[in-house]
Amino acid sequence: MTAAAVRAGDALPELVRRIELADMVAYAGATWDWHRLHYDPAYLEPRKLPAPVVDGQVFGALLAEQVQDWLGPSARLRRLSFRFTNLVFAGETVRCSGTVTAVDGGLITVDQRVEVVEDGRVAVAPATTEVELGTVASGTVASGEAAP
Amino acid sequence: MSLLTDEMRALVGREVVYTAPEELGRASIRYFAEAVGDANPLYTDEAYAREHGHDGVIAPPTLIFETNQYTGLPRDGDGFAGHMWHLDVPGTRLVRGGNAYAFHRPVRPGDVITATWRITDITERVNAKGLAMLIVTSTAAYADQRGEPLATNEETLIYVEIA
Repeated sequence: MTAAAVRAGDALPELVRRIELADMVAYAGATWDWHRLHYDPAYLEPRKLPAPVVDGQVFGALLAEQVQDWLGPSARLRRLSFRFTNLVFAGETVRCSGTVTAVDGGLITVDQRVEVVEDGRVAVAPATTEVELGTVASGTVASGEAAP
Repeated sequence: MSLLTDEMRALVGREVVYTAPEELGRASIRYFAEAVGDANPLYTDEAYAREHGHDGVIAPPTLIFETNQYTGLPRDGDGFAGHMWHLDVPGTRLVRGGNAYAFHRPVRPGDVITATWRITDITERVNAKGLAMLIVTSTAAYADQRGEPLATNEETLIYVEIA
């Protein structure tokens, strides 16, 4: 992917992922975040929460992955900011979508959001990523193709 | 009611520093990528990472902001063992607002990470429902064992008045 190939208004390939309780337990382990909010029914029931709550930082990871997969392994993320709007629960599927808002030399700005596929609930918006295209020669990642 | 007391104002500038007891390590990186479901070989394949301009495998960009493993704090009653400011704001519930990350360089397995958390701002607002909100902004600056910057994380916590 070269800067010349990216234009404001371009849509990123969507990233869709179902988040199972086992994925959440894996994330809790990998991040040393053992908060009961993310797995324990005894904690959830008195708080009127219908199911374990997905750690919001997972969405930051998915937004970064979406941009990195799209631009390829030589691209470098510079900034990522996002705001939480709704909780996401175990077993739900999220969709990350994004649109290029600016291209300035090798620096690309992308507006992203995370929605729950089942009911269209917005989990994260707005989200803004700034990414710099790498100078190292590499294979081009075609639109929609996952990173190798 | 006003949530922004003099006691709250005095918290601006409070700082806590956590240094990891060891290098981040390749296993931590692989575990995080696996848990997220990110199969990018930049995080696991040494030769592939080198072909793309790195000195070997790197961590997924947001791993560094998950600071619990650096803090060495005990688990609390809810199972949480990470950094918290433990602010007591009576009559409110805590909501996470969001994060703003800046990446200075990719994190490597040999990095020993130090996180410096600082409360940078506390302000009060009223939301659309007329409820008071205390907005606490804090910043974590991450550096390696040479003191070189790795990344920063600005986090917004919102204490909303219970109606």
